[in-house]
Amino acid sequence: MIKAGQIEKGMALLIKGAPFIVVEREFVNPGKGSAFVRAKLKSPSTGRVLRETMKTQDSVEEIIVDDTESQYLYNDGENYHFMNTDTFDQFEIPMASFEDYQYLMKDGETYRITFWGATPLDIIIPYKVIYEVAEAQDGVKGDTVTGATKIIVTETGLNVKVPIFIKQGERILVNTETREYLERVNK
Amino acid sequence: MNRTSILQRSRLYADTRKHLTNKGYLEVETPSIAAGLIPEPAIHVFETSFSSPFHPSSLNWLIPSPEVFMKQLLADGSGSIFQISKCFRNSEQIGTCHNPEFSMLEWYTVDADYRDSISHTEEYISAVAPPGTPEHLLPPFRIESMHNLCFTHAGIDLEKLQTLGKLKAAAARIGLSESNTPETWESLFNRIFLSLVEPDVPQDRPLIITDYPAQIHCLASNKAHSPYKERWELYAGGIELANCYSEETNPDLIEDFFREESAALASRTDVPNAAIPDTPQEYHHLFSNPDKPFPQCSGTALGLDRLLMLLGGYDSIEGVILFPLSATL
Repeated sequence: MIKAGQIEKGMALLIKGAPFIVVEREFVNPGKGSAFVRAKLKSPSTGRVLRETMKTQDSVEEIIVDDTESQYLYNDGENYHFMNTDTFDQFEIPMASFEDYQYLMKDGETYRITFWGATPLDIIIPYKVIYEVAEAQDGVKGDTVTGATKIIVTETGLNVKVPIFIKQGERILVNTETREYLERVNK
Repeated sequence: MNRTSILQRSRLYADTRKHLTNKGYLEVETPSIAAGLIPEPAIHVFETSFSSPFHPSSLNWLIPSPEVFMKQLLADGSGSIFQISKCFRNSEQIGTCHNPEFSMLEWYTVDADYRDSISHTEEYISAVAPPGTPEHLLPPFRIESMHNLCFTHAGIDLEKLQTLGKLKAAAARIGLSESNTPETWESLFNRIFLSLVEPDVPQDRPLIITDYPAQIHCLASNKAHSPYKERWELYAGGIELANCYSEETNPDLIEDFFREESAALASRTDVPNAAIPDTPQEYHHLFSNPDKPFPQCSGTALGLDRLLMLLGGYDSIEGVILFPLSATL
């Protein structure tokens, strides 16, 4: 058991018997009120989002989790398929819980997966990832407007707004939280 | 150095002074270091000490708001007054909306109540908002009672839930989890408000939430024939920007407030080793002087850093504070 005041983003908690991942956590002081912890929690099995406000002194049950390195194999439209790179065991994670990750994860790449016992809880995507530009229209010749942008598609299917000079086949660094272009990556 | 934010603050303060002075308010200056504060168990203060070879040393506190001094001026017949002052609050989460040292505009209008202060605040925002300010920060304000917001967003009828038992049953019905530490009506109400109401309030216009439950103790007067206080809070862009009361003037109720809140302050345990400030002796006498009756008035406190942040389109209060404390932590 920990105090609600110790909750941090990324932690796994047991709420009414079900595991939840802390997606957001903030301390709020309502006018003339004492401090509360407001957390946004997500169920890894259903994707259900829960908003909880707790007193900082309330106790909550933190789940002890294990991290494993696992290779992302493919998705079949319902589940992501992974293989544990130590044990070679294969397992599935429902896509509903991390729907948009299909545009962030690369086939064959290794990711850190958080487990609670045998239940996979969370897929950790690195904060910055290099993607290849799979589809991009060429910038119009003579277009020299500063700050002009266009939308490209990465090899994972992610749409990213980039400067006009980025070409198909080039590599770009992307912030995976905001899905924003950071810079062009030269070899 | 952020030259733009320096200019924005300079202009805001000049416009604030011009507007309020033209409206007949007198600008005042009161101390930042106090020997006693109005007891507010929800606020953590900074402790400091006076030391000197010539005087006995004394423990003092940095003001969390200038109210304790400004009410003494009102009692003394100052008339309507305003102040731009530094305020200090300890133990809050530093970040988007908080810096432990911040700037507050506090103004008191005599012969006015909290309703009048809504239009005064609308006039003030109109006077200081630069051209091009987005509509969602400008008057006319949207005005909603706390009762209606709780009904709309949380599906509860506050007036029928005046006991802790009834509020607990309603909280369970709407899916709020149970607290495992002692719950008061106030703490449960705040959890409902913060979970279900505040995140969903409309942001297309500044929003005034009026008539706060009387169970949240403060120096606002009671609203007749209702379980509410004559108090409102202003939200703009989803951020709490100002707080306003029809000020309590009944000396007996003020004496009760000081006694109850001092006791709550002394028994507070949420932050280890937190400073417990003294309260001024016989403060309620300010409100019972037969020669100088305390004026009916309404007081409003508005966070100037937050206002600058919103008007200037910054993501965080730290964009408008030149040397935020977080940079030193």
